[in-house]
Amino acid sequence: MPRLMDIGLDRLNSLLLDMATLSQQAVSASIDAYSLGSKGTEVRQMSNRLHALHRQVSDLSVEMIARYQPVASDLRFIRACMEISYGFFRYGRYALDIASVLEVFGDLSKCDKKFVVDTAKKTQEMIRMSVDAFARRDLEMARNIPKLDDVVDEAYRNNLKKTIEKKGGDIKCALSSALILRYLERIADHASYIGESVEYIATGIEPKLD
Amino acid sequence: MYSEMEGISVETQPDSVSAVNTMSFDAEKHPIVEVRSLNAWYGPQRVISDVSMKFKRNHVTAIIGPSGCGKSTLVRCINRLHELVPNSKLTGNVMLDGVDIYGKQIDVVDVRRRIGMVFQKPNPFPNMSIRDNVVAGLKLAGVRDRKRLDEIAKNALQQAFLWEEVKDKLPNSGASISGGQQQRLCIARALAVEPEVILMDEPCSALDPTATAKIEELITKLSDNYTVIIVTHNMQQASRVADYTAFMYLGKLIEYDETPRMFENPKEELTERYITGKFG
Amino acid sequence: MNARRILDRFWLGLAVAAVVVALAPLGSIIYYVTVRGIAAISWSFLTHNFNQIGNNGGIANALEGTFLVVALASTIGIPVGLLAGVYVSEYATGRSADVIRFLSDVLVGVPSIVTGILVYSAVVISFPTPYNGYTAFAAGIALGLMEIPIIANTTSESLRLVPNSLREASVALGIRKWRTIFLMLANCLGGIMTGILLATSRVAGETAPLLLTALGSTQPFQGLFNSVETMTLFIFQNGTSGTPNLVEQAWGASFVLLVTVLGINIAIKLVTRRRIVFV
Repeated sequence: MPRLMDIGLDRLNSLLLDMATLSQQAVSASIDAYSLGSKGTEVRQMSNRLHALHRQVSDLSVEMIARYQPVASDLRFIRACMEISYGFFRYGRYALDIASVLEVFGDLSKCDKKFVVDTAKKTQEMIRMSVDAFARRDLEMARNIPKLDDVVDEAYRNNLKKTIEKKGGDIKCALSSALILRYLERIADHASYIGESVEYIATGIEPKLD
Repeated sequence: MYSEMEGISVETQPDSVSAVNTMSFDAEKHPIVEVRSLNAWYGPQRVISDVSMKFKRNHVTAIIGPSGCGKSTLVRCINRLHELVPNSKLTGNVMLDGVDIYGKQIDVVDVRRRIGMVFQKPNPFPNMSIRDNVVAGLKLAGVRDRKRLDEIAKNALQQAFLWEEVKDKLPNSGASISGGQQQRLCIARALAVEPEVILMDEPCSALDPTATAKIEELITKLSDNYTVIIVTHNMQQASRVADYTAFMYLGKLIEYDETPRMFENPKEELTERYITGKFG
Repeated sequence: MNARRILDRFWLGLAVAAVVVALAPLGSIIYYVTVRGIAAISWSFLTHNFNQIGNNGGIANALEGTFLVVALASTIGIPVGLLAGVYVSEYATGRSADVIRFLSDVLVGVPSIVTGILVYSAVVISFPTPYNGYTAFAAGIALGLMEIPIIANTTSESLRLVPNSLREASVALGIRKWRTIFLMLANCLGGIMTGILLATSRVAGETAPLLLTALGSTQPFQGLFNSVETMTLFIFQNGTSGTPNLVEQAWGASFVLLVTVLGINIAIKLVTRRRIVFV
């Protein structure tokens, strides 16, 4: 027997799935723009749309709490939705940041992009995992996300170290790489947080902090 | 929100006639009411099945569950009202401060004085004034000292957040005030005999939201000095006022936990389904 | 439709006619008694004792006797009736309560002369008094026995009307059972008083049992263990005497009795109106 609340919960769910797809696309678009050297103008629109969707999720969540006084699994779901939508929204924002780098720095065709692109692929894998874990409430998958996070973290820090130690070289390339890796590292962090939220929906227990 | 504050000193009530029992063991750490393997019947129908639970001293415990789950019967077993129903039966123990209140030596009237009760529909005595209503439990037990009764009445009405509203109408009939005020009057009446435990059987279901809010506020304040056990079919009320919540279904105790935990992450599937409204 | 309207009016007319027929006897009683009796009323009539000759006689000893006998009856009827009513309502369980209530209803319907005969055989015969055992005492017993089931019934009914929530409230406070019962009685005083008034007015108007117990007397009160005159006996004896003076006095007594009955009914109304019934 469907409850009044179920309509709202379904709506929340579909809003989040929309945000999931859109944020994935935004990040892919920005990475492609980087590696292929294109403009990536559509990323801005996507990021704005994600911002608007995040607002909608917040509003709907608060409305449901005020009207229906949800408890137990419903309450956990709504709370997690607010956190996860923030994560998808950040994906979009960082995608925009990456695209902005391209805008500001202009021509980066001379740079060695391999390292960044490889890291980006891992990050995109994490994004995919976070989206799937949410869509299917896959606890197993959610728990695997942090493992990749370490890898991305490593990559970011190593690059920084190398950049500092290296003398000379194209400052444009070094800086753009560092910035983009930073954004990728942040995206990866958010993917981990989304994984934690998915775990919370299922178990009701927040995973321990590092 | 409701933190575990062990070791906090309990305020003794003014003019305490019955001292909190000085038991040989530390009463602070022990629960004040304990139900052990309780079974209860109305005729052939079993309404409580093997329920065991401890109620924590000076805290509010709510009992929730769908109609017919046995929650009202449970509290009536605690103050021995259940046995007044014809053809009723009961097995198991109910301990008050470690003593079985169904024991052979126990004076049932004393049990009922120490465990007070407030009912669903406010029931002040209509033939008595407000002041007489409050001290009815004392007057009808033989206490005569007018001054002392007046003091006790004032104190009880203050504890029940009713003094300011009725102090100028004390001689009026107990039934002449509003529903919410009548219920607070009943609470004052129960408090006047200085109980240790206060049972409440859906105390707000006959009241409007404003009156309900006042009484919920009163309940949380009362738990400073008394142990409150409240039966409610309103889960939100339980989540608002209770430190601990017990969920009963078909006579069994399904789950019993701290309220925030119970409502955020219940352990039992049945509890989850009930509190999220997936069944009656 | 015409036919239906006519039918409607017909039934209305029938109902009104029935009411007139029902009230007619009452109307005629009031009319006749007043017309015939009021002539006899005077201060001396009310204050002088019976005088065989007829002149200057009165109903003083009869009034005295009625009052006395009813008072005697009440000393038995009220306590026993109240306690019995309390027992049925508060102590007896389901089955036995129903049985007792049924028996009590039956007792109310027992013809008063049967009660009279019972008391005659049990009490009057065994009393070695001047008038062969006819005493005010026996009359009191007979009327008391009649009062008991009436008062018991109204008491138990009144207690039943007291909401159970009040009983629970009292018990839950740790108030003992008998004290709780007192409290319940206090909450249905109106009903109980009505019952007592009904019972006393009923027995005050009885004649048959008094014929077999009080016998009647021409003298004023001469002690409990002597025969005594009552209003009803006075009316019976003098109304059939044939002597115009005495007959007129009988009508006068009837008028007084009627006024008394009216007075008691008004009292009942006042009592039930003042005590608001708390639901």
